[in-house]
Amino acid sequence: MIELKNIIKRYELNKNDIVTALDDINLKIKEGELVVLKGASGSGKSTILSLIAALSKPTSGEVVVDEKKISKLPDNFASVYRRDNIGFIFQKYNLIPTLSVKENIILPLVPLNPDANEVQEKLDKVTKMFNISHKEDSIVRNLSGGEQQRVAIARANVNNPKIVIADEPTANLDEKLSLNFIEILRELKALNKTIVIATHDPLFFDLDFVDREIQVHNGKIIL
Amino acid sequence: MKSKINIYLIEYAINAILRQKSKSFFIVFVFTLLIFLLTSVFFITNSIRYELDSTVDTLPQIIVQKIKAGRHYDIDVDAVDNIIEIAGVSDAVARVWGYYYFENAGVNFSVVGIEQYEKQYKNSFEKIADKFDLSDTESNPSMVVGHGVKKTMHQSYYKEYFNFIKPDGTLKKVNIAGVFDADTQLESNDIIVTSKEIAREIFDIDEAKATDIVVKVANPKEIPMIVSKIKSIYPDSRIITSQDLKVSYQNIFDYKSGIFLALFIVSLFTFFIIIYDKSSGLSSEEKREIGILKAIGWRVDDVLKEKFYESFIISFFAYILGVGLSFAYVYIFGAPILQNIFVGYSQLKTSFELPFIFDAQTLFLVFFLSVPIYVAATIIPSWKVATLEADEVIR
Repeated sequence: MIELKNIIKRYELNKNDIVTALDDINLKIKEGELVVLKGASGSGKSTILSLIAALSKPTSGEVVVDEKKISKLPDNFASVYRRDNIGFIFQKYNLIPTLSVKENIILPLVPLNPDANEVQEKLDKVTKMFNISHKEDSIVRNLSGGEQQRVAIARANVNNPKIVIADEPTANLDEKLSLNFIEILRELKALNKTIVIATHDPLFFDLDFVDREIQVHNGKIIL
Repeated sequence: MKSKINIYLIEYAINAILRQKSKSFFIVFVFTLLIFLLTSVFFITNSIRYELDSTVDTLPQIIVQKIKAGRHYDIDVDAVDNIIEIAGVSDAVARVWGYYYFENAGVNFSVVGIEQYEKQYKNSFEKIADKFDLSDTESNPSMVVGHGVKKTMHQSYYKEYFNFIKPDGTLKKVNIAGVFDADTQLESNDIIVTSKEIAREIFDIDEAKATDIVVKVANPKEIPMIVSKIKSIYPDSRIITSQDLKVSYQNIFDYKSGIFLALFIVSLFTFFIIIYDKSSGLSSEEKREIGILKAIGWRVDDVLKEKFYESFIISFFAYILGVGLSFAYVYIFGAPILQNIFVGYSQLKTSFELPFIFDAQTLFLVFFLSVPIYVAATIIPSWKVATLEADEVIR
């Protein structure tokens, strides 16, 4: 379902400073699979997630999702691809702190100009699923870290995406909240979603419902 | 059925405005001030232009003055008989008039002398000649005054009469018989209409002399020909036509408007540089927000639509506020300060009320000079950020 072919990704910091984040990566992830990308900070895990989500383009190589070359998509088509297929849970949640929980969660739906019933239905579903319905009208900046993460997860799932991507999801959480997140992952996996997680948190290693753990080091996949 | 207007997007835009309270307040304040000033100037110029046009319509077709050594002197009343004999002249009237400086209030009154039996050169004077009896100059010397004159005299406790100080220092007491009502305030506001005898007394003008002679021509197309004939009879005369006066008024007024417009173009330009600078320097928070929206599936045009709503709401609100304030300032409060700058002789002439002129063109002009430019100045930097890779913006 997701295929990365001969991916090279370089970042040009300035004319004389070019960093190779990914160096000839090849990776296949099947539909419904839960993959954990392991590795130290700066190893290239987050770059792989960005490429799968079409948030950036590879310097060379191809990213294919459901037989579509998403690495070649023009910007607007990439946005539509993300909206329809991807639920991205960012490390720092990337919520809009001055909006309410409800307003943050429905943000991916806004450009679609949905009718009110549809919005309410989708909102109810994800807020109940991720146990945040009692905070719907709270302003996000007033929430705890765990609550903010649940809002981010709800937002990532409001469009019922096929692929859920999480970048260092437990980096800002204590152990209890991290374990709660792992339970949420289990639920998402049960819904047959394809899940890719980048983490260096040992809590994710050797989990029974994780299909594969992939080690990333210096921009390469270690087999 | 789904509404075509995306309420959620508008709601988001309103939220975005409210989230940045101080920035939004600053923009609304500056924008409102600019719209207010610009619209006020346009409102005032429209009103004054209307007044001037109406005033010019009431001016005599030809005025004949005597000139000696380049200066204006009193003309012989006998000249009327010669001028009226010129073919094409339907009437000629010797006028006795002048400016009377009222020191107490620091203003000039225009004192005009008329004769009861004479055909008047202004319709409004004709009405006075019919309505008021100004002929009894001995036992009941009286005058009809403009609204501005009445107000000024009242402020100096002259309610029923006024004491003119004659050139020899003696006083001339004249009763106020009524208030002059004319087509335009510019024409009537500072005017005192009385009998020719009293006017002569106030200005010490001899009976055989007049200030000037006004000439009425049956066919306006013949004015240049009649002007040349008068000039040939009286080579020492200066002849002014209503067209000359119109051009002269217009030049003075356009000159003042021109200065103001030049100043406004400069201030407008400066304003937009400030706005552009402010908008182009999107804060890291704003950039990040655009990045987040892109990352969760908003397209570039979704971001731009939201930015359009945001900037349109803020600038249109400021536009409505500015126009409303300027409407109140000009037509309710009489445009203090600005009116004086345009009319230009506030220390000498009495003030007048600006007539209400609704000019949709002006409102459209101000709208197109402000709102779309601000919207563009906001959208361009947002577009620059929105077209970057979302990953690059978030990082």
